[in-house]
Parts: sequence; structure tokens; C-alpha cells
Amino acid sequence: MTSVLRADGLTKHYGRHPGLVEADLDIPAGRVVGLVGPNGAGKSTLLGLTSGLIEPTSGTIEVLGSRPAASGSQLARVGFVAQDTPVYAGLSVGDHLRLGARLNQRWDEQLARRRIAQVGLDLSQKAGRLSGGQRAQLALTIAAAKRPELLIFDEPVAALDPLARRQFLQHLMEFVSELEVTVILSSHLLGDLERVCDHLVLLASARVQLAGEVDDLLSTHYRIVGSRDDVAHLPPGFDVISAEHRGRQSTLVVRRTDTTPIPRSFANAERLDLEEMVLAYLTRATDPSGAASHHSPALETLR
Amino acid sequence: MIWLTWRQFRGQFLATVGLLAVLVAYLLYLGVTIRDAYDSDIVGCVAARGCLIDDATASFIRDYRGPVTIPSIVLMILPALIGVFWGAPLITRELETNTHRLVWNQSVTRTYWLAIKLGFIGLVSLVLTGTLSVLLTWAASRYDLVGGNRFDQMSFASRNIAPLGYIVFAVVLGTLLGMVTRRTVPAMAVTLLIIGVVQVLAPTLVRPYLRAPVTVSVAYNAETRARGGSLDIPSSNPLSITGYSIPGALTLTDRTSLRNAGGTEVRATDVKDCLADEGVTSTDGWQQVERCIAAKNLHFDLEAQPANRYWSFQWIEFGAFVGLGLLLSGLAFWRIRHVRG
Repeated sequence: MTSVLRADGLTKHYGRHPGLVEADLDIPAGRVVGLVGPNGAGKSTLLGLTSGLIEPTSGTIEVLGSRPAASGSQLARVGFVAQDTPVYAGLSVGDHLRLGARLNQRWDEQLARRRIAQVGLDLSQKAGRLSGGQRAQLALTIAAAKRPELLIFDEPVAALDPLARRQFLQHLMEFVSELEVTVILSSHLLGDLERVCDHLVLLASARVQLAGEVDDLLSTHYRIVGSRDDVAHLPPGFDVISAEHRGRQSTLVVRRTDTTPIPRSFANAERLDLEEMVLAYLTRATDPSGAASHHSPALETLR
Repeated sequence: MIWLTWRQFRGQFLATVGLLAVLVAYLLYLGVTIRDAYDSDIVGCVAARGCLIDDATASFIRDYRGPVTIPSIVLMILPALIGVFWGAPLITRELETNTHRLVWNQSVTRTYWLAIKLGFIGLVSLVLTGTLSVLLTWAASRYDLVGGNRFDQMSFASRNIAPLGYIVFAVVLGTLLGMVTRRTVPAMAVTLLIIGVVQVLAPTLVRPYLRAPVTVSVAYNAETRARGGSLDIPSSNPLSITGYSIPGALTLTDRTSLRNAGGTEVRATDVKDCLADEGVTSTDGWQQVERCIAAKNLHFDLEAQPANRYWSFQWIEFGAFVGLGLLLSGLAFWRIRHVRG
């Protein structure tokens, strides 16, 4: 299995403020990767490091086997659409396609033209006068027509209204199947990504909280309810992600770390959906004492 | 990349070409007019009988001082203008609108991107400055010949090759400061400040000492006053000359003592016979005193960079500022790879 992104102890500090701390990641090729976390969790930092816009303070990162942005050919293999999809306001849509054609050896003019026509953009229109959704489509087109092996989007839909959001993601998925490209998408809203991603990376407080294939994650996380006594004596092979105690009864979210079967005393153990799982991890990240608290960062990520 | 740089710069470029065309037309017109006036008023005066060449020269200089000074000022402030309006925003405009995140993710490295951008703007600035400098040098050549001093700051900084050195320095300085400050307005302000300081310090503190000055001995005579040297006769101190400038040279000494043939400073008591007992009051009386002192075979010594060093100084300044520009661009190319995107 080839890795599209491999990070080892990846750390970025902005002065004394941590942007990303000790991230270890290994993301396989051919996935749609959802990078989720509250605002300020380090998503843009991780994506900046992946695209080579930002240099790590310590640790290493390899993208498609090389240091990010190390050379023109490495840059050609990675497409990046920055947050708020910046474009040259004074240049027309057509100028942007020309920019793409001039600055990328592997430029796919046909794809670019077709995409622009498909989303109904006027080639002569100044990019500064496009709506947020149109601008996102233009940026997506430029990034895709360079025919990268990895496409990265930083909060592509944050500025879009719900309809534009759906259209954008729909177009994106068409691309993915057509181009056979690995995609990394970030959002502070899990809801934006849960339908499209098959690999999840959860960031909070500048640290990776959870990373893995969505199916694997779903099959290894359980909610178990039992008496305080029962849950205090979990067999090895289970990590407690969160615990909530109400009277004598406790509710745990656990991750099975090996193939240990669930003890019979937890016959009521049930699988979690992605949203509940993310919430459990965020709760732990924002409140390490373990007491469940439903305050903002976790909830913000969900809705 | 060249296309993109051109496309981004096109508007400013066309506006600049428009302004340049106006200046070129003006300089061509000025050059032709000055040549005509020189031929008829100066050369004609020398040929004509009874024409006072000093009067003709004075009136020629008076007529063309303004028309020559204006384009000289334009050339002197051009480095600041270009550094501030082309150099400083070159990178900051991208950083402020986030378009660097678009362009740095195409298949060209930042180094290449900067090389094309800086090279393009630098080349345009050089051609612009070169055109103006050549034309002004040509247009003002008769004026400089008659009354100008090529070592005079305004003249030195606006003719021949020195302006090309300044422009290279200014463009790179603005670009580098933009990269460091990341904001257009502060980058512009600091660029302007540094170029301003350099333009004041270079001619006053640096240029006079670029080469070891030579000591020039000048005889005190009727010419002294015409060259700006005024005689001072204090009662106790030696006699002195103030404000004399050697034609075509960079004169470094402002005030110097009058000496006799043996090199001894001359005091009022030594020229007692020239001074009327009751003191000098009228201009005529003063001229008589000067004539009397001039007859005594006196001289004064000045430190100067002689006129024949003009081209060596032009080359030194051109080379020094191009060198500074290259040094700063080395820093810029090192820096661009570490700019946070």
C-alpha cells in the first residue's frame, strides 16, 4: 500500500503558539480524506505543511514520497486550493486558465474548458466579480486541471451557502472518480464530509486525536453501558475514550485495540456512528479530566 | 510565468509608458532648444565682437536652469518612486490578497517565480531609467558644459550610469522589505525612508571619500570671486577664502586660509598696505582691496576630487549600488523559500 502522506512527529509552532504538535500520520493513496476539527485545531497548518506553503518547526513530512514543494515536478503532483479560494481579482476566468496552462506542464486544457462550461462560468468575467461558489469552482478547476496525484482543499465549502456546498462537493466527487486522485478535504463541520470521505483525520488542540479508515473506525468503537463497577474492570484491549457517570450507571465510549471480544457483561454494547465517535474524541481533547461536558468546540464541529 | 508577470503588471506598465513618452518628448525638445541657444548665444557671442561672454553665459544659465532641473529631480526621485510603488508591492500584494497560495501551488518553484517577477520589473525599471538618463545627459550636455558642475549632486545623480545603479538597488530593496514586512504600506514607508537616507548620506558622507582626495593649490586672483570664493579679512585670524569651487571638480574644502608663496598663512597685518586706514565701506573700495591683495602672489589650498575622476566615480557608484542590489536579491532568494505561505 503506497502512502500519499506520511508525517512523523510533525510539529509547527507560530512563535510560542502551537499550530500542530507531534503529528504522526500515514494516509494511503486513493482515498478521500476528511480532515475534521474545530476552528484553530491545526487543520490549515497541517494542510499548509502538506502543500509546502509552511515549513515544519520539527518532525518530518513526506508527500508522495518527497518533501513538499521541493521542486517543480513535486509541485505538479499536488493540487492545493487554499481557504477562501484566492484568485486574482483583476484577471478574468480565461486568464486564470491561461495561468494554469502556462505554469503547469501537465495542464489538461480540455478538462479545464469542460469544467468551466459545466459550471456555467463566463471566460471573460473578472474573477473578482465571481460569487463565492463560482470562485470555489474556478479554484477547483485550476487545481484539478493540473492533473495532480493529490488534491488538497482547505475548508472549501466554509464560505458557501448550503446549495453551493452540495454542488461543489458533488462536482468534487465526479472529479475524484474521473481522475483517480487522492483527495484531502478539511472542514470544521463533520457533516460536510461524512458522506464523501472514507478516511478520517480528527484534529483538536493542535494534535491528531484520531486517524484511520472510516470503516475500521466504525467497527472498533463501541458505546457500553453498565454499572460503575463493571466499567471499572474492563479487560485489556479496550481504550476508554470517554466516560459519563450518572448515578450508579456509567456510559463509556471505548475503542477496541485488538480482537478481544466484548465481555458478556456488556451485551448491550453498540456501534457508534461517526458523529458520536468524533464527539467523544473532541470531548476528551477539550476536557482531559474525562468528565463529559458539552461545550462549544465539540458541538461546533458537529453542527 | 513571464506571461503572468506581464499580465499583472500590464496596467502600470502602460501608464508608465504614457508618462515616459511625455518626458521623452520634453527632453528631446529641451535638447534641441538648448543646442540652438548654445549655438546662437554662446558660440555666437564668442564670434561676435563686443559681446560680453560672462553676461551671455549668465543669461543662458538663468534661462535653462529650471528646464534642466525639473527632469533632473524626476530622475533623482525615480528610484524612490519605483522602489516604493513597484518594488514594495511586488510580493506584498500577493500576500495580502492570498494569491500567493494560488500561484505557489502551480508547478513552478517560488525561486523561479521570484526570479521572473523581480527580473521583469527590474528590467523594465532599468530600461525606463536608462532611457531618461541618456536623454537628459544628452539634452543637458550644453548646459552642463557652460555652467553646470558634473559633480554637483543633482547632476551626478541624474546623468550617465549612476541612476542605473540606484534603480537596481531600489527595486530589490522594496521587494525584499515587502517580503520581510509582508504588508504593503509599512514596506513602502521603510523603502522610502531607506532610499531617502541613502540619497542624503551617499553624496555627503560617502562620495567625497570614495578615493583619496588630492590637494589643489589655487592662486588668489580676480577669478576667485567668480568661482564663488569670498575673501574674509578678520583682524586677528589669518585671511581666508570661503565657498570656492574648482570647476568640474568635487570641492571638499569650504573654508581655507590664504597663504603666501612660502606657504605661510597671511594675516591682516601682512596686507596692511592694501587696507585703507579708515576701513572699507564701499564696494568700489572693497574691489580695490581685493585687487591689491591679488597682486601679492597669494594662493590657497583645497581638498578635492578632480574633474577627471568623474567617470571613475560614476562607475564606482554604479558598481556599488548594483552590488548592493545583487546582495539584497541574494537575501531575497534565500528568504522567499522560508516565507510562511
